[in-house]
Amino acid sequence: MKQLFAAISFVLLLSGCSPNPPKTVYPQLNREAEVHGGLSWNPRSGRVITSWINPGGTMTTLYGDDMAVNYARSHADGAYPAGAKLGAVTWKQQEDARWFGGRIPAQVASVEIVVAGGPYERYEGSPLAAVPGSDAERAQFLLQQRAAVMP
Amino acid sequence: MTRMRFLTGTGIVLLLIGGAMQAYHPKLESPPVTAEIQAPEEVRQILRQRCYSCHSNETKLPWYDNLAPAYWVVRGDVLEGREHLNFSTIGAKPEAVQRGMLFESVNTVQLGSMPLPRYLAVHRDAGVTPDELATLRHYLETPPAPAAAPAPATAAETQFQHWIASNGKPMGTRPDTQVQPEWNGVPFLPEYKNWKPISSTDRWDNHTMRQILGNDIALKAIADGKIDNWPDGTVFAKVAWLQQPDGKGGITTGAFQQVELMIKDSKKYASTEGWGWGRWRGDDLKPYGKDAAFQNECISCHEPVAHNDHVYTAPIGGAQ
Repeated sequence: MKQLFAAISFVLLLSGCSPNPPKTVYPQLNREAEVHGGLSWNPRSGRVITSWINPGGTMTTLYGDDMAVNYARSHADGAYPAGAKLGAVTWKQQEDARWFGGRIPAQVASVEIVVAGGPYERYEGSPLAAVPGSDAERAQFLLQQRAAVMP
Repeated sequence: MTRMRFLTGTGIVLLLIGGAMQAYHPKLESPPVTAEIQAPEEVRQILRQRCYSCHSNETKLPWYDNLAPAYWVVRGDVLEGREHLNFSTIGAKPEAVQRGMLFESVNTVQLGSMPLPRYLAVHRDAGVTPDELATLRHYLETPPAPAAAPAPATAAETQFQHWIASNGKPMGTRPDTQVQPEWNGVPFLPEYKNWKPISSTDRWDNHTMRQILGNDIALKAIADGKIDNWPDGTVFAKVAWLQQPDGKGGITTGAFQQVELMIKDSKKYASTEGWGWGRWRGDDLKPYGKDAAFQNECISCHEPVAHNDHVYTAPIGGAQ
């Protein structure tokens, strides 16, 4: 009986040895891509309007407050009601360590905020600091971006 | 003396049991190779050596794998492996699908989930070497000949016009918001588009760009730094669009491709790693798959990040 028990244990050991996958991925926030600085508005507190990839390895997501998002998702003309707030965050890209074939945000390269009928602001550096001056052409470019379809 | 007799006795019993086990030896068929993966010879060579034992119809088992009970385990692994990815038949699928599978393969190797750790424990020389991995990566980094023309901008335009025209009405009152749940019963949540941003990806492997969004429970977990075991009620949405070149070296958001949901409920979805999985494709949001087995694709692709609660995305905080 003892022998049978020992034998069965041995067989179970043989067929049941299944090491778990190695821990190569740990729960981690992408801290370097966070937006830090004294901004007049945090674009990432809004909702996504659209996104694009720039030549030269940066990626941008355009966010808006409720007024901006609601307008962008039902109009194609970019004629936002006065006061609607939009913000574009542009990140440097890095290879996604968890997916060969993907690029994800690294450090923030710039943040731009435009208020319909109001000012355009640009922030750069770490922590982000306002860059003096305005850029009407760029403000118009941001206002003209169509919303990405989200059915 | 007693000890000696015990050992001899155990040995005999082991031999008897071992011998008896060989009687049960279900056959492992080798169906014909109908369409081998299309790839350069140097790539195929690596696949043949490292992957074909389980992922092709050309399985060659060493003698010790032919002995029960190891044989039973290996046979099960081979049958399951072929079902998920079979390099002997995948050549019949579109080139993009074949490349997509190779990207997934490279990722499972890089993240240590392939070859199966239990297989590697016995077959110590079966692993992909760094040089071989570099060869596979280099092949995939080289863009393929432009086979399919990029999706016409007019398709994206039509889709956009239809979408903005249907907006501005209260959610749920429009007939086109009655989207079917997934085959596994996971519901479509139209409010996903109003969730907060978590991250974004430029997926050059399949020419899409993606936004990862999260509901309030997900956002609170990120703010609290509790992302090792996402709380029940967490929902992620991953929205994908085709990449649309702007003609000036940049890429804009093209046609909407799909939205995927991961809904955490450790009890309700206990049998699928604690998550309810769903994917809705096209602007008519057709549930993906043809039956509930579609979710095996989700789970096996997320297996390499099992220690990360099956979540790939590293969230960017500060979206409250």
